[in-house]
Amino acid sequence: MKERLDSHRLSNGMIILGEPMADVESASFYFLLPAGNAYYPEGCSGAGQIITDWLFRGAGSRDSRTLIEALDELGIHRNSSITAENLSISASLESANLLEALDLYADILTAPLLDDEQFEPSRQLAVHELAGLDDDPQHKVRLLVAEQFYPAPYNRPSEGKKADLESMTADSCRRIIQRQFDWSQGIFAIAGKYDFPAICDLLEKRCAHLPGTGAKRPAAGAPGQRYTHEANEGAQVHIGLMTRVPTIQDSRYYDIMAAVSILSGGMSSRLFTEVREKRGLCYAVGARYQSLKDHAAISCYAGTTPEQAQETLDVTVEQFRRLREGFSDEELQRAQIGLKSTLIMQSESSAARAAGVAGDYYYLGRVRTLPEIRQKIDSVSRSSVLAFLNDNPFDDFTVATIGPKPIQL
Amino acid sequence: MIFKHRQLDNGLTIIGENHPQAQTTAMGFFVRTGSRDETPEISGVSHFLEHMIFKGTDSLNWQQVNEAFDGIGAKFNAFTGEENTVYYAAVLPEFLPDVARLWSQLMRPSLREDDFNIEKNVILQEIAMYKDMPQFDVLDQARALHFGSHPCGNSTLGTEQTIGDLKVEQMRDYFSRRYAPNNLVAACCGNLEFDRFCDLIESICGHWKPAQADRSLSFFEGTRQRRHLQKDTLARHHICLISPMVSMQDPRRFAASLLGMIIGDDSGSRYFWSLVDPAVAEAASMQAETMDGIGAMYSYICCEPAVAPRVAEIIKGIFSDLSCNGVQEKEVTAAKNKVLSALTLKSEQPMGRLFGLGFNWVYSRLYRTLADDIAAVRAITVDDVNQLIAEFSPGQFSCLSMGPDVQENPLF
Repeated sequence: MKERLDSHRLSNGMIILGEPMADVESASFYFLLPAGNAYYPEGCSGAGQIITDWLFRGAGSRDSRTLIEALDELGIHRNSSITAENLSISASLESANLLEALDLYADILTAPLLDDEQFEPSRQLAVHELAGLDDDPQHKVRLLVAEQFYPAPYNRPSEGKKADLESMTADSCRRIIQRQFDWSQGIFAIAGKYDFPAICDLLEKRCAHLPGTGAKRPAAGAPGQRYTHEANEGAQVHIGLMTRVPTIQDSRYYDIMAAVSILSGGMSSRLFTEVREKRGLCYAVGARYQSLKDHAAISCYAGTTPEQAQETLDVTVEQFRRLREGFSDEELQRAQIGLKSTLIMQSESSAARAAGVAGDYYYLGRVRTLPEIRQKIDSVSRSSVLAFLNDNPFDDFTVATIGPKPIQL
Repeated sequence: MIFKHRQLDNGLTIIGENHPQAQTTAMGFFVRTGSRDETPEISGVSHFLEHMIFKGTDSLNWQQVNEAFDGIGAKFNAFTGEENTVYYAAVLPEFLPDVARLWSQLMRPSLREDDFNIEKNVILQEIAMYKDMPQFDVLDQARALHFGSHPCGNSTLGTEQTIGDLKVEQMRDYFSRRYAPNNLVAACCGNLEFDRFCDLIESICGHWKPAQADRSLSFFEGTRQRRHLQKDTLARHHICLISPMVSMQDPRRFAASLLGMIIGDDSGSRYFWSLVDPAVAEAASMQAETMDGIGAMYSYICCEPAVAPRVAEIIKGIFSDLSCNGVQEKEVTAAKNKVLSALTLKSEQPMGRLFGLGFNWVYSRLYRTLADDIAAVRAITVDDVNQLIAEFSPGQFSCLSMGPDVQENPLF
């Protein structure tokens, strides 16, 4: 278990965090900027999807092709994503190529070309990906339920809305980058094998001039409707379900995680046992904790044939509600060991650790050490979980379905 | 790292790669059986049997099995393909004996009829789920089209009909033939004590009787047929192309994976620059799948239905250029770098090493270190890749497409 955390703040306020790992030859970094879809003006839903693609279409002295070739040459496994709250750019690679890679990423962040002619394919790809959701109802139902559950504008789907994507221009996206990207709020986390002073030096030279814009976190409106159905003549009914819980900052966070684990942590969990093993209602059923900064949920998915959809929803909801009636000591122990085991397995992956460090700093303003998390998991007790469940009895659900016919809540 | 292996008298092989500094240990049973070992009337039995393994033994019911895995915090699962069924778990090193004992016991399941009937519903749900996932459905149907009557075209899931009709006795018979100890490999990777691991496996599995578990092997270059399936429910056009390639036992498999990357990696490949970067298609990928005595290159492309003919023209252009001019040095170098860094990253976790370790033994009875694989990739030349193109003509493929449109003219 590692306890060292490297930390340095650039002169523009951006924070650099590092977690060294023994016995690895790789490094992974994760850059997070609170500049997701919720921060954009009305009518710009999906702009983040376009921007994350557009940023990689040339930077510094390189055009689109030479930039991608340079990234590939270094064997970088890269990713970028957008949520309602954050834009994130991440990469994993052999440590020997790290500084060269960071130089390229500094170009992407500080000097993207953002060419007019490269804008259109980025926009079209976003339109295509949105249209492709119709052929992926399992993913789409999760977006549908989240859109109703979270208050506006935190309910904006990362894939955007068709009308917004169609009206977006290169200028409107450039304006979003200029006005909404507050670089002083940026979080750069690295894990694995790295030279921290060299990284800080490079980032100070290349990125410290990026400005803070003072972009404000938008106020939350009201959530949407409790049940949404989308007709689709597929083979299955896809059910998405969410219920509100406290956020990761809450002192009861580990009680919540234990409750989610009892409900859906493994094959002996309540949902798997009752919905799949005993009744054979589903192949896929599961729930997980999902948090934004100020709003959190347990989010659940189940896919089943139309004849069994009502029973699947009823049994699933019943499992949520029955949790407060109690659970065995063995169930709690299995939940605790499952959580600790996940923690240790993630600690072997530089990519998982870089994302974990950035996430902790974003949500908590600090990075939890692994021994601290372990101790918190150990200190969860039967009475603390039950106390949480009494305060949060799971009697309010937001549900969405995609399938041949609606079901009854 | 230190590699060890032991073969039991009944033919069961145990292999282990020790990484004393690892924080976890991964282990698995590799059963050399899958859909290609099935006859039409029992189509889907390998995969259904994989589910039934979790239903327990004469002394453990399904609940006790699930609780035993979760009680040691195991990250575990199983998968079934055309030619392997693999059961695996990652645990903290102190739980290796528990998980090894559990999997060993489960390799001799009860296959109770009441469990069989409940699980049949779950399998039917899984078949329905994949019907709603055209990116998987198109691959499954394309495989059947490409391989024709060759057993590699068999569906892993089976159909509603074959699963509905399947009897537990048929599964028991299949089990007794295919799960013989001489058809199993137990593999382990990470922080471990190999001799203790072997002794434990032997104490549970050592008395199992060997059996005939043959597989007929033949190379088949594919039917090269083309078919379009019109489906009103789809929004996009999904295309799968399959052409022949070298087998898993062929040392040229590393060059085959580079070829797949040069043509169809998600960044900087021929498909990327011609289809994805200009937003003609939202997805276009290609990869090599090397199997037992046979192999294939698979492409998957997803686009707006109206532009499918244009996509087809672009793909024809890519393959025509490849067959005339071959690949370039720069492309081979970039593909090597990507493969090498993927190997390094994957190998940092025992679970990432386990499958390579197990499959190398299952297919070739050989152990390869990470350094062996890195050296093999580094040694590949432009000529190696071009020779594969000349020998296997990846532009001569079978093609299955599905989408909302009626297709009057074939795409290719």
